[in-house]
Amino acid sequence: MRFDSLARWSPQVLSILRIVAALLILQFGMAKLFGFPYVQMFQGIQLFSLYGLAGTIELVGGALLLIGLFTRPAAFILSGEMAAAYFIAHFPKGFIPLLNGGNEAVIYCFVFLYFVFAGPGPWSLDAVRETPLSHEMT
Amino acid sequence: MSPQFFSPYLLSVLRIMTGLLFLQHPFAKFFKIPHVAMFDNLQLFSLTGVAGMIELVGGALLVLGLFTRPVAFILAGEMAFAYFIGHAPRGFFPLTNGGEPAVLFCFIFLYLAAAGGGTWSIDALRRSKSNDY
Repeated sequence: MRFDSLARWSPQVLSILRIVAALLILQFGMAKLFGFPYVQMFQGIQLFSLYGLAGTIELVGGALLLIGLFTRPAAFILSGEMAAAYFIAHFPKGFIPLLNGGNEAVIYCFVFLYFVFAGPGPWSLDAVRETPLSHEMT
Repeated sequence: MSPQFFSPYLLSVLRIMTGLLFLQHPFAKFFKIPHVAMFDNLQLFSLTGVAGMIELVGGALLVLGLFTRPVAFILAGEMAFAYFIGHAPRGFFPLTNGGEPAVLFCFIFLYLAAAGGGTWSIDALRRSKSNDY
């Protein structure tokens, strides 16, 4: 099966998935705390409210995940935050994620959970930190 | 035991959850469960209808973990199309143009195409029974 040759690129694609997921979750943190991109619902959020703290976790966690620093703990906290977000904000609106607006929250939760176990991949600060400077990266 | 040990299992968990969430879309399109007003009066051979067929077959195969790599590859391409046809014209930011799930699905499927189906998949069962590889 020719498609199995794609397996060679699996670590790199893991890093790409991490970077994209981090950029997407950063949107939520920025929309909540900086009002950019502008989302009506997130206007006038207090920093020390439920939404404000969620935004802080998303901003800091998303930034760490983006550069791949402390990936596993950051992803663990984000995964838990997404689970909480789903059950606090979306689940009361209905059982089916497509209709209660919690589709993304579930996907994020499981993607971040996967990063906890799979790690950040080769394109990350964690990978750089673990590689001694005197050795060439392979 | 390092967390890396559980990675192939979590890969399967990710695959199954993503597949199930993804299956919601074709079910809403064809079987009206869950009911989404936007998908009423859907023609089977329209752009959305054909997309629904790809999603139905691909999503089911993905949940089972059968032919994971080629299926995930096709679905990743379909989601890229969905994003640029359906969402990108509405604005630059995925947060505000409604294309956030499409982007996430696209890159998760791309990763599944590279990483395979993980431990809990029919692909893994087939592999253990034959030495074709």
